[in-house]
Amino acid sequence: MMGWIDQNEFLIGSTLTVFLLAISIQIPLRLGVISFASIGYYAIGGYGTAILMTQYDVSTWTSVVVASVAAAVVATLLGLIISRLNGLYLAMATVSFSLLLSAIAVNGGSVTGGAVGLFGVIGDITIWHTAGIAVVIIFLVSFTERGKLSRRIDATREDSQLASAMGINVTAYRRLSFPISGLIGGLAGALAVNLKTAINPESVNFTLVVLALTIIIIGGQASWIGALAGSLFFVWLPEILVFVGEWEEVVYGTLVVFAAVLVPGGVVGVFNDWRHRRSVARERPKVALLEAAAGESDAELTQSRSGKDG
Amino acid sequence: METSEATKAPTYDYEPVAEARGVAVHYGGIKAVDGVSLGLRPGNISGILGPNGSGKTTLLGALTRMVQLTRGSVWCQGQNYSQVKSDRVITLGISRTFQTVRLLPERTVWDNIILSTDVVFKRQGDKVEGLVKEAIARTGLEGLEKARPDELSYGMQRRVEIARAIAVQPRLLFLDEPTAGMSRKERTDISALMRSLRSEGLTQLIVEHDVGMMVETCDYLYAMNFGSLIAEGTPPVVVRDAAVQEAYLGKHGRHDA
Repeated sequence: MMGWIDQNEFLIGSTLTVFLLAISIQIPLRLGVISFASIGYYAIGGYGTAILMTQYDVSTWTSVVVASVAAAVVATLLGLIISRLNGLYLAMATVSFSLLLSAIAVNGGSVTGGAVGLFGVIGDITIWHTAGIAVVIIFLVSFTERGKLSRRIDATREDSQLASAMGINVTAYRRLSFPISGLIGGLAGALAVNLKTAINPESVNFTLVVLALTIIIIGGQASWIGALAGSLFFVWLPEILVFVGEWEEVVYGTLVVFAAVLVPGGVVGVFNDWRHRRSVARERPKVALLEAAAGESDAELTQSRSGKDG
Repeated sequence: METSEATKAPTYDYEPVAEARGVAVHYGGIKAVDGVSLGLRPGNISGILGPNGSGKTTLLGALTRMVQLTRGSVWCQGQNYSQVKSDRVITLGISRTFQTVRLLPERTVWDNIILSTDVVFKRQGDKVEGLVKEAIARTGLEGLEKARPDELSYGMQRRVEIARAIAVQPRLLFLDEPTAGMSRKERTDISALMRSLRSEGLTQLIVEHDVGMMVETCDYLYAMNFGSLIAEGTPPVVVRDAAVQEAYLGKHGRHDA
């Protein structure tokens, strides 16, 4: 077991940092905010850590914390600036934000290392540290997936107007998602740069957005389990697909398309549906009986509903 | 907020539960609601009647702060709440249902109903479950707590919405076309439920275009057309009003609308 972990340390580390990035995108997404800014946070976390460690000799952990907090601060400001935007306009603004940061990375001269980037980021973060951080994040995120908080989050995403009418402060929830997303995104970048020992503009470009989004779509949007399942799948898939050789990307793309079409709720959605069906199966006869007692006739319903549009 | 002639406090011979004072909602050149004043009678079921596009739902939106007022003000218990955010309206004791079914599809009936109750009663957590159970009993949803909305008939889904709205123990309940798309039996049941809520002192305002149901259920009617009130009074008076017949029922006085 330990031997296997040592052999696959890089892949395991990648899985965990990609997972954190996916969580960073998932948190606003669960509130109905389609934000691509996480790549920007990831860049701030990654570059910030690399600059502090290689140019200012700051210790590993201090660099990681400072860079992640910086990402959270920037995220908060971004959230305030774009809080008047919605849906696709907001998504566009966050794409611009991420592209802006990758432009800064390219043109940052000796600070960011330009197109070559920064390398030699050798700290003392082990795979166990990264795993520990991931577990803490999972623990915290799982609180938002239970009880009243999860109901409010669902309502904010599914129907923000309804949520407001129910007394939920939609703006506050959405605004709060920015610093949280920023902190986790920054952390993902900071840990990734320690794992890879280098960072360059290529590693924080739009490809990363696409990867993180696909992970959430395939894994499921509603839960950290989805993000983890998706991360495992996408980090290890290229390894598994090595045997198909040059067709790898085609197979990869096809799988993604099929998954998006066939399981829109992701792997976790399929599991939840199954679990709900199983729990309701026992109640089913009772439901049917109650419905019948309520005197609902489908034919009558269809008739009275037709030609009616409010 | 502009103060014009229309926004001055009108006098009623009763204490209105909620009031619209010269409310106007304009979208560009379209005057969806244009200077409506009304004061809801406590303990009554009031109704707003009017053809599609007459501004009924927009007025309801104005009274629940979901649409911005162009002019005028809205009042509740003597408080001007025209600047209150829409998510605070429920804490004023104003609850509502919607024209279309708006339930969380992935959530059970129980979760859908408790959604607003535990926001409103967040400091009295122990009360919440009891209130939800009571609302479920009142709307005849017992045994369906674990079902998801898509497993229920349309009529049952609407009941879940009513349960959600009454579980917060509102002072005032707005119902936007509560019986639209329901079978006759369902309509009668819902109408009976509204009357039973009234007997407990809950003031209600229904927006509907089903005249029969409105006459049967309401104590007081307002008729709207082109964003303005064209008549108000007891149901028999309003239904017989010439302007209402013209605008709403059509010149030939069709009664099957």
